[in-house]
Amino acid sequence: MNATTTHEPKNPVPTTAPLVPCTIDANGIATVRLGRADESVVTFTRERLLALGEVLSSLRQNRALRGVIIAGSAPGMFCAGADINLIHSIASVEEGTAAANTGREVFQLCQQLPVPVVAAIEGPCVGGGCELALFCDLRVASDHPATQIGLPETKLGIVPGFGGTQNMARLIGLPNALDMILAGKLLKPVPAKKKGLVDRVVPSDKLLSTALAELQKLIQQGKKAPKRKLRGAAFWFSKTPLRAIAARAARKALSDGPAKFYPAPRLALELCLQAFTQPVAQGFAAEARALGEMIASPVSKALTHLFFLTERSKRLGKQPGAADLSRGLIVGGGVMGAGIASLLAQKGLRVRLCDLNGEALAKAKARLQDDLTKRLKRRHMERHEAQAVQDRLAVSSDWGSLVGVDLFLEAVVEDLAVKRKLMSEAVARGLPADAIIATNTSSLPVFAMAETVPNPERVVGIHFFNPPEKMPLIEVIRGKHTSDAAVATACRLAVRLGKFPIVVQDTPGFLVNRCLAPYLNEASRLLLEGNEPEFIDRVMLDFGMPMGPCRLLDEVGFDVATKVSEVMSKAFASRMQPTPLFAAMVEKKALGKKSGGGIYAVRGNRPGPGVQVIERLRKERGMPTRQASRSEVLQRLIYPMIDEAYRCLDEKIVAAEQDLDLGLVMGIGFPPFLGGVTGFAQREGLKTIVLALDELARKTDPRFQPSDGLRRRSLA
Amino acid sequence: MTQQDTDLAIIAGFRTPFCKASGAMQGAAAADLAAHVFREVLDRTGFDPAQIDEVLLGCAGPDAREANVARVAALRAGVPASVPALTVMRNCASGMEAVLQAQTRMRAGEGEVFLVGGAESMSNFPLLMGPRLVKFFTNLGKSKNAIQRMRAMLQFRPSALKPRIAVMEGLTDPITGLMMGNTAENVARLFGINRDSMDAFALQSHQRAAAAQQKNRFASEIVPFTPPPRFQAMLCTDDGVRQQQTMQALTQLRPVFDRNNGDVTVGNSCQITDGAAAMLVTTVRRAKSLGLKPLAVLRGAASKGLDPAYMGLGPVHATPRALQTAGIEFKDLDLFEINEAFAAQVLGCMRAFSSDSYCRDQLGLSSALGEIDPSKLNVNGGAIALGHPIAASGARLLITLAQELRQQNKRYGLAALCIGGGQGQAMILEAA
Repeated sequence: MNATTTHEPKNPVPTTAPLVPCTIDANGIATVRLGRADESVVTFTRERLLALGEVLSSLRQNRALRGVIIAGSAPGMFCAGADINLIHSIASVEEGTAAANTGREVFQLCQQLPVPVVAAIEGPCVGGGCELALFCDLRVASDHPATQIGLPETKLGIVPGFGGTQNMARLIGLPNALDMILAGKLLKPVPAKKKGLVDRVVPSDKLLSTALAELQKLIQQGKKAPKRKLRGAAFWFSKTPLRAIAARAARKALSDGPAKFYPAPRLALELCLQAFTQPVAQGFAAEARALGEMIASPVSKALTHLFFLTERSKRLGKQPGAADLSRGLIVGGGVMGAGIASLLAQKGLRVRLCDLNGEALAKAKARLQDDLTKRLKRRHMERHEAQAVQDRLAVSSDWGSLVGVDLFLEAVVEDLAVKRKLMSEAVARGLPADAIIATNTSSLPVFAMAETVPNPERVVGIHFFNPPEKMPLIEVIRGKHTSDAAVATACRLAVRLGKFPIVVQDTPGFLVNRCLAPYLNEASRLLLEGNEPEFIDRVMLDFGMPMGPCRLLDEVGFDVATKVSEVMSKAFASRMQPTPLFAAMVEKKALGKKSGGGIYAVRGNRPGPGVQVIERLRKERGMPTRQASRSEVLQRLIYPMIDEAYRCLDEKIVAAEQDLDLGLVMGIGFPPFLGGVTGFAQREGLKTIVLALDELARKTDPRFQPSDGLRRRSLA
Repeated sequence: MTQQDTDLAIIAGFRTPFCKASGAMQGAAAADLAAHVFREVLDRTGFDPAQIDEVLLGCAGPDAREANVARVAALRAGVPASVPALTVMRNCASGMEAVLQAQTRMRAGEGEVFLVGGAESMSNFPLLMGPRLVKFFTNLGKSKNAIQRMRAMLQFRPSALKPRIAVMEGLTDPITGLMMGNTAENVARLFGINRDSMDAFALQSHQRAAAAQQKNRFASEIVPFTPPPRFQAMLCTDDGVRQQQTMQALTQLRPVFDRNNGDVTVGNSCQITDGAAAMLVTTVRRAKSLGLKPLAVLRGAASKGLDPAYMGLGPVHATPRALQTAGIEFKDLDLFEINEAFAAQVLGCMRAFSSDSYCRDQLGLSSALGEIDPSKLNVNGGAIALGHPIAASGARLLITLAQELRQQNKRYGLAALCIGGGQGQAMILEAA
């Protein structure tokens, strides 16, 4: 392909690397493409950055040049930022700082060109891509559905390093920039225009002509860039000492909760401030240094690792043989069934939610409407879109016809006989032979349900977590009979719902609940030994869990915990014997949040009715008080979870270590910055973990005995 | 005459509960109601909506935002964009008119499958700006400078704010200037129907509807509805039915239309109600080829006009032609559903059907059509108890009649409505 054409033979032809094609027309307008037309994803690798540098440098030599348009490779792709592999591979602060400086210097060539440079943005314009656009003199964005603009670097544990913090803060003001950069927010074109991030939003097919028109306007006016001024609040909170107020509010938000484990947003905040307090060059230098520090940090390595895991999980949605589902029948209108049905409706499936309890069905519709109303108020949605979502969700006590239904999903009580009966009934009532039959069971064997169904290969577990709208993980359970196609279809659905699927085998507790069981069990033991729930929870919060185990028990509910623990203790008797606490809580109706308080009161940190249940139980049984140290709490709660995770790997419940990491981060909230459960185990040292577990087993109870697999690994 | 291949077969029909206007379903526009019943018809039959030739929906007062409410409702119910949709309007018979239009198309060879029905949200009939307010705003809009604007503003008088109430204006006949209730008074006077018999009829309507509710008779036709905007309730029953209605309470009501000399009260008139009803209809031939079991087959249908001042007698005028097209006699009819716009008007129809002189003078027949046995008429109550969401009623009568023919194992039934403006429409169903 000849990427370079010129109608001005007198002028030197720019040397272009094929990575960054550039054409110049008869009027001296250069169009730089960030990738070849056949590239569907463009990222800044080292090579592409250098190629862009060469193109821009050569344009600088071109005397006939009157303006430059920078565009993406193809419709729907501008630039997805720096290559994550590159980010992941940089190991030292110096290397990171140098890479930041190199990249920024390339982008700065846009400013150094004597002619105006217009960015024509369509598709993702994020991270490095956005930083390049910020160095351009004017930005035109297309309303293509894939268009997103922003600096998501903090989500990978780093800060924008190619001038992003400085340029964005100057362009849209401190409050807006903090709002976007600290959370790594991406904006659609219209909101981006409102914030002043882009100058114009146009229909997709007018993108290049508009960019050209804007360029020519600048050329005619003899200007390099339009004059820009911050106005209103953006001005007052950026250019005056009032910015201290904006900074203080942002700092406060970053000092609470899990935010304290992530240094990048705090650094990004200070960098944004510097955009208004220091000369440009110093700001850029500080930014490069900050990037170097962050990119080499273990937090960033952990988060990029997690990013790879999510990409790997998303690929599960593209397996051959996966069908696109369009019409679902969900039976069971409880919290799970209603949540799943709402989620399906929001993602475009036509859903019928069935339950004999009409009140529960109305509640499902009302809850969906509450959610939609919130999004309408935030203007994340238009009224007709919300209406379409509601229209897609029908609720009824009548299943209606099953003709055309391609997903039958049950979310009824955990009772094998009931579930079997529903599946048989669905088949008897005409469910098409190729429809997926799914169960949202969290504890029952999928194969046992499949046995009563003709073509059992289409029965698959799709295990959502509570609440289904929010929890990002889905366990796709492959039963003994389940076909690859059914697994592939379930994974595809999960990805379409915006969730991360992992494929697990059909054994009690699957992955997540199995790893959670020893953790929650041990928490109840610690409580019965007289440890304060706040103390136990505090240790886990400091470890980085989003919620302590006692609070989690309240959220899950002791009724559910009892049910799960029965299944788990039956399957893994030697190490998952339940404590008397669960049953006692159920007996005293202190189920947790749903019953008006468990260990804690429903609201706040006040103790709930469960505290008395614990006291009475301790007295009745004459349990001695044993105050555990912080490190003991940590070891007793986390190490058995790690052991259980490796057992799942050895028993081939999941295929790879990556599944353990993703599953426990997304399913339990295992601290992402620790690099997943295996990353943490490696860092802590498997030897240390095995030793500690051996010690616990010797001193207290054989339940701590580590698995042979873990022991073998620790010796390797 | 026997069934023809191109006769219209009702495959399935459902309706929302009928709820009193400005009540439980106030937040639902006609399109919300229609979309819901359409979707339920599709979901419960499992019929592929791409096979539908056209969607026909009756609606007398669609919202300004959804003037072709049939199209809006069809798309929202999941009917593919390629299937056309038409809103039809013949006042109170609009829902029945949709069926008539489907039959006409079938006979003309223009399609074999139709999604039909009627929907009305009387809660959402608008208040309109009066002509003086319209003029005020027009003048204000035309003003070009501050002085003209000021002058236009000074023309404002608070009395201009008085709105036109669409629901009241819609129920007034523009030709005779009579409100619908006054035409019922005319019918009552013509046949000497007194207040007591009207109230007794109204009481019977409530009692029959209450009995039907108690034995769950409507379960086969009502699809429960969760009304927007908050979707917090699951509505399952018609809320106008008064289980405890007494004659004494009815007699205490004062006449509303002719306050001094009239007998028509709100108690012996239909209720103003929201609701929708829909049916999937095909030709007998298509039903056979698809293996669908129809509820009933439409054997005859007719529309007829009469003096708007006596519009309540419309059913009597339309029935002879309907019988003729069906090829049966009046005595062959086993069940009757005559819309209860007013007790006076239904009673008037009964008199007219059995009156030699009326049938001879007004209809040109040689003698009376025949007597209607009250035990065969509106056996589950009518609009006086259930309500009359204008366009939905025609479709409801057909659904109720089809279900009743099947349950009583009877053959022929008549469904008929009187129509504001002086018309009647009648249809004859044969159980399938």
